[in-house]
Amino acid sequence: MKATTCLLALAALGVWACDFNITDPNSPGPIGTDPSRADVADHVIGVILAARSDAADWNLDAGILGREAYRFDGSDPRFISEFLNGPLDPGGGAFGGDHWIEEYNAILSANQLLDVIGTATRLTAAEQNGTRGVVETLKAYEFVMVLMGHAEDSIPVDVDLPIGAPPAPLVSNDSAFTFVSSLLDAADAHLAAGGTALPFTLPAGFTGFADVAGYRKFNRALKAAVEVYRGSLGCGAPCYTTAKGLLESGATFIDTSATANLAAGVYFDYSTNPGDAPNPLFQNPQTGENFVNPRIKDSAETKPTTGLDDRFTSKTVPRPITTTENLTSDVGWIRYPATTAQIPFIKNEELILLRAEANNALALPVLAANDVNYIRVTSGGLAPIAGLAAQTQAQILGAILHERMYSLLYEGHRWFDLRRTGRLGPYLKDRATDAVFPTLPIPLDEVLARK
Amino acid sequence: MAHRIVLVCVGLVFGGTLAAQQRAIAGKVTGSLDGKAIAGASVAVVGTARLAATNGSGEYTVLAPAGPVTLSVRAVGYKRKVLNVSGEQTTADVVLEADIFNLDAIVVTGQATGVEQRNLANAVTTVRAEDLNRAPTGTLEGALQGKIPGALIQENSGAPGGGVQINLRGVSTINASVDPLIVVDGIIISNDAIGNNLNAITAAAAGGNASNQDNPVNRIADLNPADIDKIEVLKGASAASIYGAQAANGVIIISTRRGQAGAPQFRMTQRLGESHVIHVLKSRVFRDSVEADSVYGTKAQTYCRPTCPYFDNISPLWDRHPLSSETDLSVSGGSDQTRYFVSGLVKRDGGIAPGTGYDKQAARVNLDQQLGSRWTLNFQTQAIHSLSHRGISNNDNSGTSPYLVFPLTPSFVDLRPTGSRISDYPVNPFERSNPLQTYAFLRNDEDVWRILATATLGWQPVATDRQTLRFTFTGGLDNFTQRNDIFSPPELQFEPNDGQPGTVVLGKTQNTNVNALGNAVYTLTPASRAYRATTSLGVQYFDKSLNFTNLVGRNLPPGQINIDQATSIAVNQDLQPIRDLAIFGQEEVLGLDERLLLTVGARGERTSRNGNVKRFFLYPKAAASYRFPALGGSAGDELKLRAAWGQTGNQPNFGNKFTPSATGTIGGLFGSSAGFTAGAANIRPERQTELEGGADATLANGRLNVNLTGYTRTVSDLILVQTPAPSSGRAASVFNGGRLRGRGIEVAAGYVVTQTPTVSWLVHATFTKTTSKVLALPVPAFQVGGFGTSLGAFQVEVGKSATQIVGNDSLGNVVQVGDGTPDFQLSLANDLTYRRFGLSFLWDWKHGGDVINLTELLFDLFRNSEDWATGGRQRRALFFKGETQPYVQDASYLKLREATLSYHLPASAVHQMFGDRVRNATVSLSGRNLIRITKFRGIDPEVSNFGNQAIARNIDVAPFPPSRSIFFSIDLDF
Repeated sequence: MKATTCLLALAALGVWACDFNITDPNSPGPIGTDPSRADVADHVIGVILAARSDAADWNLDAGILGREAYRFDGSDPRFISEFLNGPLDPGGGAFGGDHWIEEYNAILSANQLLDVIGTATRLTAAEQNGTRGVVETLKAYEFVMVLMGHAEDSIPVDVDLPIGAPPAPLVSNDSAFTFVSSLLDAADAHLAAGGTALPFTLPAGFTGFADVAGYRKFNRALKAAVEVYRGSLGCGAPCYTTAKGLLESGATFIDTSATANLAAGVYFDYSTNPGDAPNPLFQNPQTGENFVNPRIKDSAETKPTTGLDDRFTSKTVPRPITTTENLTSDVGWIRYPATTAQIPFIKNEELILLRAEANNALALPVLAANDVNYIRVTSGGLAPIAGLAAQTQAQILGAILHERMYSLLYEGHRWFDLRRTGRLGPYLKDRATDAVFPTLPIPLDEVLARK
Repeated sequence: MAHRIVLVCVGLVFGGTLAAQQRAIAGKVTGSLDGKAIAGASVAVVGTARLAATNGSGEYTVLAPAGPVTLSVRAVGYKRKVLNVSGEQTTADVVLEADIFNLDAIVVTGQATGVEQRNLANAVTTVRAEDLNRAPTGTLEGALQGKIPGALIQENSGAPGGGVQINLRGVSTINASVDPLIVVDGIIISNDAIGNNLNAITAAAAGGNASNQDNPVNRIADLNPADIDKIEVLKGASAASIYGAQAANGVIIISTRRGQAGAPQFRMTQRLGESHVIHVLKSRVFRDSVEADSVYGTKAQTYCRPTCPYFDNISPLWDRHPLSSETDLSVSGGSDQTRYFVSGLVKRDGGIAPGTGYDKQAARVNLDQQLGSRWTLNFQTQAIHSLSHRGISNNDNSGTSPYLVFPLTPSFVDLRPTGSRISDYPVNPFERSNPLQTYAFLRNDEDVWRILATATLGWQPVATDRQTLRFTFTGGLDNFTQRNDIFSPPELQFEPNDGQPGTVVLGKTQNTNVNALGNAVYTLTPASRAYRATTSLGVQYFDKSLNFTNLVGRNLPPGQINIDQATSIAVNQDLQPIRDLAIFGQEEVLGLDERLLLTVGARGERTSRNGNVKRFFLYPKAAASYRFPALGGSAGDELKLRAAWGQTGNQPNFGNKFTPSATGTIGGLFGSSAGFTAGAANIRPERQTELEGGADATLANGRLNVNLTGYTRTVSDLILVQTPAPSSGRAASVFNGGRLRGRGIEVAAGYVVTQTPTVSWLVHATFTKTTSKVLALPVPAFQVGGFGTSLGAFQVEVGKSATQIVGNDSLGNVVQVGDGTPDFQLSLANDLTYRRFGLSFLWDWKHGGDVINLTELLFDLFRNSEDWATGGRQRRALFFKGETQPYVQDASYLKLREATLSYHLPASAVHQMFGDRVRNATVSLSGRNLIRITKFRGIDPEVSNFGNQAIARNIDVAPFPPSRSIFFSIDLDF
């Protein structure tokens, strides 16, 4: 008995010595210094994952705001009430206040890796530079996403701060675009010093762009897009000239040759594999909640043979007429026809239209008209517009935007295109009570954190 | 540490000094009122460790030392009696008086100590077996409704199988655990609420809304109420500090029934009953095509030509009147040395919706073994199996939850099937699913196997007239496996919508709680007998390991339920290992002729959940009570004043100290990115400080007993989640800060209207009022629940009630539009007996407390509410002006929780019907929630879309409607 008691006492002692230091069994923590090659690879992919997290959602929301799409969602009326009618609620993370934190989370992920990449002794200096270039390019892309949705001259840029630090100062959209442009150049310089191969594998959506030389073409393509955006937002000729230079120098992957693939570009991948995500924009086109705004059908041109613009017919499909809240549509989406359908970062077809836009702005209408008509014929199966080069600069811009609408349908561009070219207006309203919003509000949490 | 071993080993020295000479005293214990034998009464020889219990016939035999001795006789429900027995006497019969208010009952004061209710310095509520089992209940929590002053106990949904929130004394936290600690036979058992991931179907957590809408069951539901002897409820820090940092929401201490010496006593209860829905919302009746077109456009034209047909698609979903049954069988018996209690339960509750229901089987063995004169061994073990079929309800984003489908489905569409095949159910042309089809073919099962086992070794090396020393060592295990099987066949209308028809969810959660507890209790009475001091010391180790795994398979071939056949599989695992270690001590002094009780105690506790795992956090307490006997000259009357102060904690949630990365794959490549939540490496427990004062009076010659309690508590170091500027890339950062205050008044009163051998009438009432106020908040006001301000949200704001609901007014201002906390609660119980008849009923009245009624909002929004013309139209118009107010509704209710009419069969009838063996037979008819009076316009004023919540529970979004039940029962003793 005494032995038993003492055993119990010893058991109590044993308990005393138990290890209470339990590490997180569910997830890795933030990347530390001197990351291994695998750590670096994981975190590069992590930045792509973080960037992907808002890609589809942006395409839908910007599609609704830019009058490409409807979502008739019985469970959540806000896709109609808030996005078409307003006001945009900066407090609700899913609607008005959206398309901000996901982008900044990707930027944080990028910064966490950039902060330690210099300590990675298991990578060569060239590999470190290649990694920097890849990650900085993705980070710049995320800033572009923020800028596409927000036009209130309140963009935090210097966000690489420790937890608890005061929020980063706000800068104008113009300054932020300048910052992005420089960041892309810095990334390109890093890539230039990055040797030939990257020290990690990129997903299938980067096929053709997964080595240093290929990735630089992606970087320069983004730079060209940013310069065109900046050009239309006030920078004018200098930016257009930069864009034109990039698009005509072979720095990008623009291609209008006989073997050109308009879809060539860099994409987000989706799948139903474990840990992966299916493309949420894929729905049963006949029964899904997402519809095509009928004005897309109404303004689609007819081909010289028969039928509507190939781009329209290949991305949409007729469905039974549905009316909700006085909104009606009989067109469904097949732009993303499978759970594995990719969503583009940027693609050849856009580059051609960016070149047209730059040339038109630089008063080179013939070059612009050539690219517009090339897209019309090659991508839409339409007839070229006769005498386009003779039209006014504004008319040619209108034609470019019209082609962008069908070439980049449901890819998150139209709302921003209309805004940066000053073409948002009441004509876009489907119902008299609707509103057309020029920008998403800065999220309430961002505002509150600065009070 | 060393001194502990010393303590134990000093104890050993006292062994083997027992007086050798012995004699036996025998007798019978009976009740004064009816003269009936009292079974299970304890007869103790004062000043020794000698103890005996009466058998089923009220008889006892106790061994006593030679010479005159004093016997102390005690039985539940009776006043303690002390009698002197001379040295020659060998028999002593005892007559005990009824103790209606249980003033002589021992109530817990620590981990291993207790005092008589009459001296207790805290407002501890005891609920006894007879109060628990009056009317059958689906799960245990339901049986507590209306019986505990200070507790708000509400059903989260009507889905069979449980899901009830027990809130003691209002808001005690914002982000930490909200559930009381459940202690069964000395060990901490799991009350986890583990989601079934119905979200894979409902997508409720998509679209930026919080998750946790899966309608989970908290696992206290597994316990069998029939096994319970008593439940003691410690409501706040002043009583519960000895349980440390898991006790901030109070402690529910459950003691299971023990065997009684004697021949086997069987008890059998057979119940048969039915349940039916209390209330459903219906949809609008459309007169003609003009009305229908105005809402549905041309789509309505094929249905209304021009008169619209009317089909009630809603009622058929909830119109089952299923048969429920319950069989309880227990046997108790044994010798002086060995006593046993064995019970079994088979229970089936039908569900009001097709395919729903709840089955439970449980078996228990409790053994008490005397090992010589100083050692005792108690062993409790229970195995439980439950299987619930819970259907699909609550919020969704996929058009699958019935009450999110009905608002969009006009009544001129007929959704009723033409046959029993899946294809015989019409496609709902107005929304993504046909709920009748969904309920007929979607399976949502929760299968739980659970084992509870506890062993307690007691050793009393010292038992003299003046001092006793007792050690107890308790080891306990609580192990359960919860399996969730959800199967949604590919042929269901909504299934093809995601491009992956067919969904199967396979969830498996394994939880193991290991408890080890050692206690030493020393009592000292000086020769002068001026006081009795009780010193207790203890150590407690707690180890919990929860392993949640969940697989979601999509895209299934028709007819396949095996997850292997799915073309896409998502896997999720969550591991939560937790370790706690605590030491505690307590000193109680009862003096001044047992009038004054003074208590001080403290617990030091460390846990792996804290940032600093080495630090012991200290939780002290102190309490005092003083009894003024013979108040007003009447012998039975007295007044006790009491005051208690104490602290408890609320441990950080598992993972609060970690900053996890987000991970995933893309194109087969693994990636790791910054998580949205930043943890706090220095996180520490919340701290609750409570001061409680009260007066307990027995008046009117002992016929009236009133307990009045007031408390004020402050919770500091709240675990808060700061919202950093989202441009930091983080959505949340965890830290300690802020202060919250809770205050309240609780009254419990009992009155004996009359008590004679033929008639008795007892009335019990409870009153509860709590308020809360946020005193300090180092972050801007934030919302903790709801769907954004416009739809009504719970907002934590300095200077406001913690449960305030804010919304928009017509000018776009954010204003308070309600409060979830009721103004007060009142319950009234009556127990009447007349000869062989008994009648009892319990009213439960909640006054005030608002609920956000989003189910009605959805009907209004889609212009489909039943009262569209008379109410819905106006509410919708106000809502579109920006006003939230129409949907934040007063959820006061008056419910007849329990009503039971019973009849004790006369001996002749018992003999005739059941033969010789049966001693007693009682038949009864009982009902639960028979009457419900409320102005609330939603499904039910109790429901909670987000399950158990610290603050944001009162949100009605498409719940499973609660039901009422009626049972016929027969109890047999043989």
